[in-house]
Amino acid sequence: MDALAVDGITKTYRGDLSKGAREVLRGVSFFAGEGEILGFLGSNGAGKTTTIKIVLGLVRPDSGGVSIFGRKAGSRGALARIGYLPENPWFFPHLSLGEFLDYCGRMSGLTGKILSSRCEEVMPLVGLERSSRQKLKSFSKGMLQRAGLAQAILHDPDLLILDEPFSGLDPLGRKMVRDILLDLKRKGKTIFFSSHILPDMESLCDRACIIRGGVVVRSVSLDDIFRIGEGKVEITARGCGAAEIKALDDYIDSAGMKGDEAFITVKKQEYVRTVVRHLYNKGAEILRIVNQHRTLEDIFIGEIAGAPAQAKNGADRPEKEPLCGSGAKEAGI
Amino acid sequence: MTGRMAVIALNTFRESIREKLLYIVLIYAGILVLCTFVLSPLSVGAAKGKIITDVGLAGISLLGVLTVIVAGSSLVHKEIEKKAVFMVVTRPVSRQEYLVGKFAGVVMALGLLMLAMAAVMTAMILWGNGKVNIPVLSAVYLSMLEMAVISAVVIFFSTFTTPVLTSFFAVCIFVAGSLSGDLRAFASRFGGPAVRHLTEFLYYVLPNIRVFNLRNEAVHDLRFNGGDIALATLYAAAYCGVVLYFAYLVFRRREFS
Ligand SMILES: Nc1ncnc2c1ncn2[C@@H]1O[C@H](COP(=O)(O)OP(=O)(O)O)[C@@H](O)[C@H]1O
Ligand SMILES: [Mg+2]
Repeated sequence: MDALAVDGITKTYRGDLSKGAREVLRGVSFFAGEGEILGFLGSNGAGKTTTIKIVLGLVRPDSGGVSIFGRKAGSRGALARIGYLPENPWFFPHLSLGEFLDYCGRMSGLTGKILSSRCEEVMPLVGLERSSRQKLKSFSKGMLQRAGLAQAILHDPDLLILDEPFSGLDPLGRKMVRDILLDLKRKGKTIFFSSHILPDMESLCDRACIIRGGVVVRSVSLDDIFRIGEGKVEITARGCGAAEIKALDDYIDSAGMKGDEAFITVKKQEYVRTVVRHLYNKGAEILRIVNQHRTLEDIFIGEIAGAPAQAKNGADRPEKEPLCGSGAKEAGI
Repeated sequence: MTGRMAVIALNTFRESIREKLLYIVLIYAGILVLCTFVLSPLSVGAAKGKIITDVGLAGISLLGVLTVIVAGSSLVHKEIEKKAVFMVVTRPVSRQEYLVGKFAGVVMALGLLMLAMAAVMTAMILWGNGKVNIPVLSAVYLSMLEMAVISAVVIFFSTFTTPVLTSFFAVCIFVAGSLSGDLRAFASRFGGPAVRHLTEFLYYVLPNIRVFNLRNEAVHDLRFNGGDIALATLYAAAYCGVVLYFAYLVFRRREFS
């Protein structure tokens, strides 16, 4: 059973006197398998937050359904297994961090020793162990974000739903969040998070859904993107002249010189051996062989700039897409 | 009351204490002291003590209702508006528990405030050589019931409208509820059938604030029927229950977009 299954949800915000109705979601479908980290990628206003609110039962969809471990969105049984970090969290300013976590824990049904030990555990995890007595109203944006993550993981939920978990954090904070999420994944938790920051997405996700204009336009597996050998290969060599390179014309895409180093992009994986042997025989020194792959950014920008969005059934298992393009990942020699 | 309701109630209570709600008791004490010095020299003998009782009880009732209208509307609304409510409604807590917890917290905070005001009044009465009798204490108790009823009304409006409108509607309901008995009596004598039906309807829908007023009896140490206190208690409980139920019906459907 999937941890989270979203099936064709649509939502139109009713207008009022000042503005008309607004169709925000036009059939969003996707799923997150148990133990998976699923990224939800989209530009500002694409409908990520609205989708997440529907998953939590804060907003009702006009049509379509959400199931969380087989239960209905917003039901007690579903909520009991979810940890949620809202976008730009705002909490009770009159409480200290310790009191706030205590309150949240009790709302999730924790009591007594378990509650206090969980509070003690999560504060150092998010780097706030020294702020437990500080009032939330004096927290900075990054600290609020950390406090938000602390309350989301406090009751050890099976499904984490995080809306822009990296926003407002310094680089150390982002690494901290990444480490926490990877650790939770090791423990078998399912994580669904939204972001528009691509490197965060790439470094964490098993899969990413790209939403655009209220429709999931693409669901990609990050393994596919990184699979070695699908793209082109860039070879860097020293000590070869333009003539040697010219002789390789059939095998290479492009070539350039910078100082005494030549950068050669090979058309296909199969040609690497030929090209390297040729250069080697001509007395050139091979410095690097780098496997180029398409980044999430390329795919994202391609989708965003692409044709008008069409509803695509993202709930299908992700298809293997031929992925190639620019961007670099060390292939090892 | 479930455990979660109690936790929500305590949090609301704590918030209102930290918002310095109890400082209102200082305003109250100031008013009472002022009245003693301005009004008391004008009267003689037993009337002296009566003035403090009179002003003191009216002050408790009025400040209690005003505070619950102003503070109550912000206590619930701020949470909804600023998304703090997400921390509650995205956990396995029913919306019923949330509303009842909020209500209980507001009533607890306001109850404490009114008790503090009553303590100030008692001190002043004793200081003026008056006496604090059962009717005075009963009058304070009824004012607290009145506050509880208005706070249920405030919570009801908070579930779907802004603090300003909530306060406005609550004041209207309080005033109309204070007059509805008179209006009905008036209409039954002089009004046509349509007017009579309307006032009859309002009489039953609006809270009957009159029921919670024992101030005349308290000031003049008149006899009163103890059964009325019990009835007023039942009435307040039933009224709050019905209003909170309607609040739940609205809140259950509410979206937090
Ligand atoms: N309460 C609302 N009423 C009307 N429109 C809204 C409301 N909330 C969001 N929207 C609109 O819905 C669209 C999607 O918003 P959102 O889901 O917050 O996007 P994202 O989180 O992807 O940036 C935006 O165009 C936004 O203006
Ligand atoms: Mg958003």
